[in-house]
Amino acid sequence: MALDDMSRQAITKGLPLTEPVLLILLSLAGQPQHGYAILKDVERMSDGRVVLSTGTLYGAIRRLLEYDWIERFKEKKEDVSRGRQAYRLTAQGRRNLQVEIDRMKRITRLASLPVALKER
Amino acid sequence: MLTVYRQLLRLYPKAYRQQFADEMLAVFVDARADIAKKDFFAQTIFVICEILGLIGGVCGEHLRGLLGPDSGFQLPTRSFIMRNGFRFPKTTAVLMTLILCGVVLAIKRGEEIAMSLPHVNSPIVPIQPVHSTMLPGIAFFSILFYSAGLVGWAILFALRRSGVHRLAQMWGDQK
Repeated sequence: MALDDMSRQAITKGLPLTEPVLLILLSLAGQPQHGYAILKDVERMSDGRVVLSTGTLYGAIRRLLEYDWIERFKEKKEDVSRGRQAYRLTAQGRRNLQVEIDRMKRITRLASLPVALKER
Repeated sequence: MLTVYRQLLRLYPKAYRQQFADEMLAVFVDARADIAKKDFFAQTIFVICEILGLIGGVCGEHLRGLLGPDSGFQLPTRSFIMRNGFRFPKTTAVLMTLILCGVVLAIKRGEEIAMSLPHVNSPIVPIQPVHSTMLPGIAFFSILFYSAGLVGWAILFALRRSGVHRLAQMWGDQK
């Protein structure tokens, strides 16, 4: 397998994203976040449509860590316990998020064409 | 509830537990404190979602261990865990709450009657404590509901009435 194919496969692994995973990545796009902050962010971004349970959230976090899309982020604060672990996007995660956003933009553009034509 | 949550966390594979159990518990405690300010219905939904999410996660992690990390197999738990397009009639919710209250009251009344009766004969078989039967009960009902869901989906698929077929039909109509 050519190196280019391999890297493409690595990038596209896990794509297209499910809505919860997309929202988790978007939540981490701004700054590192703890699990609970991610939960609240996902709920806020989806206007309450997507409410993740802790089981679902950490299932997704485990997969994203495994794909190397996110990483644990060590905070400098001394009061950070094990239960308040923060995560942040890796460069690969950011790239994949951008790939997914571009894909969605293309789909939205394609979808809007027949609608616009019908409205004429 | 925290005890039940801890017990369910113990069902995860050891490696997963070591990595995430403390974090999950901390997040659950925060989420529970937040939901405590809301009404009874929201709290019930929260508990159900958390339990189903954990059961789905446990099954998923164990299956991943059996089938390998690249199996791509995922349990169809999202419809339970997410409230995507949630269309629950309020009257049904009220009715369900009333039924739940009725069941709780009936249990209380039953306990009162049992306590008021004189214990002349000692029971032959020792009564099992409730907590020892709760987890297998949850597991049994989860499997039952999943099986029913799968059977329903299979029937719809066989009748070509599943979501995929409807989408294909809509796409055909648009063309």
